[in-house]
Amino acid sequence: MSYDYLFKYIIIGDTGVGKSCLLLQFTDKRFQPVHDLTIGVEFGARMVTIDSRPIKLQIWDTAGQESFRSITRSYYRGAAGALLVYDITRRETFNHLASWLEDARQHANPNMSIMLIGNKSDLAHRRAVSKEEGEQFAKENGLLFLEASARTAQNVEEAFIKTAAKILQNIQEGVFDVSNESSGIKVGYGRPQGPSGARDGAVAQRGNCCG
Amino acid sequence: MDLVSGYKGVVGLVFGNENSGSNEDSYVERLLDRISNGKLAEDRRSAMIELQAIVAESHGAQLAFGAMGFPVMLAVLKEERDDVEMVRGALEALVGALTPIEHAKGPKNEVQPALMNTDLLSREADSISLLLSLLSEEDFYVRYYTLQLLTALLTNSPNRLQEAILTIPRGITRLMDMLMDREVIRNEALLLLTYLTREAEEIQKILVFEGAFEKIFSIIKEEGGSEGGVVVQDCLQLLNNLLRTNASNQILLRETMGFDPVISILKLRGSTYSFTQQKTINLLSALETINLLMMGGTEADPGKDANKLTNKATLVQKKVLDHLLLLGVESQWAPVAVRCAALQCIGDLIAGQPKNLDILATKVLGEEPQTEPALNSILRILLRTSSMQEFIAADYVFKSFCEKNSDGQTMLASTLIPQPHLMTHAPLEEDVNMSFGSMLLHGLTLSENDGDLETCCRAASVLSHVLKDNVQCKERVIRIELEPPMPSLGASEPLMHRMVKYMALASSMKNKDGKSSTSGNLYVQPIILKLLVTWLADCPNAVHCFLDSRPHLTYLLELVSNSSATVCTRGLAAVLLGECVIYNKSNDNGKDAFTVVDTISQKLGLTSYFLKFDEMQKSFLFTSVKSAQPRKVLTRSTAASMADIEDVDENDSSDQKDEDHPILSAIFDVQFVNLVKKLEGDIRESIVEVYSHPKSKVSVVPAELEQRSGESDGEYIKRLKTFVEKQCSEIQDLLSRNSLLAEDLAKTGGGSNSQPEQRVSGGLDRVQVEKLRRDLQEASQRLEMLKTDKAKIESEASMYRNLAGKMESDLKSLSDAYNSLEQANLYLEKEVRALKGGGPSTIADVEAIKAAAREEAQKDSEAELNDLLVCLGQEQTRVEKLSARLLQLGEDVDTLLEGIGDDVGLPEEGEEEED
Repeated sequence: MSYDYLFKYIIIGDTGVGKSCLLLQFTDKRFQPVHDLTIGVEFGARMVTIDSRPIKLQIWDTAGQESFRSITRSYYRGAAGALLVYDITRRETFNHLASWLEDARQHANPNMSIMLIGNKSDLAHRRAVSKEEGEQFAKENGLLFLEASARTAQNVEEAFIKTAAKILQNIQEGVFDVSNESSGIKVGYGRPQGPSGARDGAVAQRGNCCG
Repeated sequence: MDLVSGYKGVVGLVFGNENSGSNEDSYVERLLDRISNGKLAEDRRSAMIELQAIVAESHGAQLAFGAMGFPVMLAVLKEERDDVEMVRGALEALVGALTPIEHAKGPKNEVQPALMNTDLLSREADSISLLLSLLSEEDFYVRYYTLQLLTALLTNSPNRLQEAILTIPRGITRLMDMLMDREVIRNEALLLLTYLTREAEEIQKILVFEGAFEKIFSIIKEEGGSEGGVVVQDCLQLLNNLLRTNASNQILLRETMGFDPVISILKLRGSTYSFTQQKTINLLSALETINLLMMGGTEADPGKDANKLTNKATLVQKKVLDHLLLLGVESQWAPVAVRCAALQCIGDLIAGQPKNLDILATKVLGEEPQTEPALNSILRILLRTSSMQEFIAADYVFKSFCEKNSDGQTMLASTLIPQPHLMTHAPLEEDVNMSFGSMLLHGLTLSENDGDLETCCRAASVLSHVLKDNVQCKERVIRIELEPPMPSLGASEPLMHRMVKYMALASSMKNKDGKSSTSGNLYVQPIILKLLVTWLADCPNAVHCFLDSRPHLTYLLELVSNSSATVCTRGLAAVLLGECVIYNKSNDNGKDAFTVVDTISQKLGLTSYFLKFDEMQKSFLFTSVKSAQPRKVLTRSTAASMADIEDVDENDSSDQKDEDHPILSAIFDVQFVNLVKKLEGDIRESIVEVYSHPKSKVSVVPAELEQRSGESDGEYIKRLKTFVEKQCSEIQDLLSRNSLLAEDLAKTGGGSNSQPEQRVSGGLDRVQVEKLRRDLQEASQRLEMLKTDKAKIESEASMYRNLAGKMESDLKSLSDAYNSLEQANLYLEKEVRALKGGGPSTIADVEAIKAAAREEAQKDSEAELNDLLVCLGQEQTRVEKLSARLLQLGEDVDTLLEGIGDDVGLPEEGEEEED
């Protein structure tokens, strides 16, 4: 249970882009082809190790439907990281990114690390958004970027871990005031620093992605 | 606040009469006008203070304020933020307008101004976000009154407020931040959040996202855990709101902080024998938290069960069982309410959890060398407690332990060994070293001495859990024999018989000793009946054992028709009777299913018998049973009464109607009610079955109707006569049963006008009677047919007998012919020999003659033989045909042919030898 840091994440994006499936793949390592619409917000948690430091990720998966926006906005401020997800086979989900981003900028902590994810990369034959477009959008808005597949698990771990690595880097650079509740970061009761193996055993060390 | 009291006087002087509405209207209007249009700050402030005072104490002023005041107040709050005093005043006036006036003695249906004002204010667009923005004001009182105002709004119209706050960005965050404010504000915020989170899943989640768990547990710790004051209670209430049927939050707590902080609240530290009321409430609230975690998420949640199981497993890993046992079993000073809640939790924790069951089964309490299995301790509590609630709670532990746990049941049953006489009569206090089973048996039979069946029926309840659905245990306990209460009184008797005796005793005690057992009797009989019903279910040996004693059936019949017994006693007795029919595998006359059914219909009548089922089904106990009754939510107002349940029940129970006695509702759980419902269906079916296939006293085998060989006609007729007599008496029986049924039917028909609900069972009986009548008709028709058949067969038989006689005589003449032929032959041979001796000269001649004669004779005899053979062949085929026919008719051919065969067989053999 002990960890160095606890990061709060939110997953946002249009309905049906696969937010809940990404979370399920990350926490339970399984894919559920048919997933009920998320009502409000669902919760998931997992331990990861970055630079041999155990880090707990608390992830809130939000409903993509417009009617839940007022509820989901309540989660922006307290989050340290966000996964902004679109569906590479549906152009409109990519087109909506700007409005999602604006929402995030308006309600979230300005230092929140955002990872843009083009999901469903396994459906390359039905691709409607090129990888380059995704990269371009991320670059313009200062976001991390990955194409991933909740079905094949490709890049799912990476997406969560790279975001965590980025947050960790921000902490080390002093961008965050970790004592501030609203940063979405908590310092663990565990030991402050030092060498350690993977604590949870649940996660392989994917380590140095931020380095 | 001195001013307020001063103004009260003024207001009283000015109005005198509270109902002078128009005066109040104009007064409030003037004040509002001064506030909104006044130029002098001082005058506006004093107007505000006056307004506060009048709104806080007058109905009419509240109404008037609601009609006109809100825009003015909101304008102050919006535009005059810098004037702290005005803002405070406006907030205070609003709080006043929203707080019901305590001792207003208006008629009940009068408009509640406080409620109406709440409605008006919460409708006001932007008012909520305006109020939330006030929470970031510097001034303490502004924040304090704002929280109070929000709480008042939430109390009166929670749903609208919850929706409104959800739509305000960072609204909940702001409220959450108040938990970090100074103590007074924090405590106010706790209350507000408790209201806010009630039945609002999304708000609950956001709160948890904002770190509510950490904050709650840190406040609880700060305040001293269960030893803390009302703030701890408020914290636990908020915690429970966050966890109630909210799987997501439960997972989050489990995955991040774990359940340790909850469990540590249950830890008793310091003086374990002082339990203040506040501590009791705190512990009850923490136990409710455990309970909520074990109940999991909402019914609709597909992952509910998995979440529940994980929660239970995690709780047990965290040693919650130790703390629960400490609270529920080991600490004698804990209030009854806490002990009961802890026992309930233990029951829930083990229900359907094999691993947890094992842990409880092997748990040992106390310190060496004075240790004892936890289950024994719980049994002792169950048997000895003076609190009915505690008995129910302990009983629930055993119920949960035995449910679908045949290994556990067997383990408990294996220790059921009757003790030698002295031991069973030892006082209850000496049971520390007893095994579980001995303690239970001891409890079952203890009442013998003091005439109180309370302990006995409690033990009976435990025993019924041990036996439920477990044939091995049932069989085992059937074999338990008890020594007679006094060594001098007769032989030992089975435990089951003793239980029936106690049940009978329970009703007789009622008359003798009014005070102590009127309440007892209410549940003693039903509990023992439940034990027997559970025992006999699906267990023919138990039925056999029960019917072994003849008076049992009689007693049961009496009980069913006893009008002074309760509906459920009668109903259960009826179920037990039914079990004696459906699970009866006995063939003994007088103990078989048929006899039982007969007795029922003779002594009770089937209609009134089945009526007992209907009555019971309709009784409160059966209709009110629900799968899982959600427990009452502990709130500040109910908590105190919850903590006080001490032993009031003892006095209460005598006043209670027998129908909803708490013990009965605990005993009649869903499983048992379902069992009874299932049994009822089976019983109805089975009784119809028994009637439609009456066991015949005379078996009808056509062969027996035949005259036996060697049986003289006289004997034969006699035998047939007795047979017919038997059938006749059986027909008489059927007729009398038929008339009984018809009578029953007639009664039902008569009664059905006034009691339409009886029709169902009446109809059923009618169907039965109809069926029986048809059966009877069929039976007599069959008898008639058999008679004609018999006559036919007899005539045929005599015909065959004649035929056989004829054949015999034929054969005789044939053999005569053969004999004469042989004689002729002999004669001829003799002649030949004489001729041979006569002279060789004539030898050639003689030889020739001889040859000729021999030839002739041979020819003759050959022809004769041929005829004979043909005749025999014909005879043979005829016999074969006849035997086949006889065989068809069911006649024993061999015996028939025995007599004839001898005659026929012999010549045949002779014939063959000759050849």
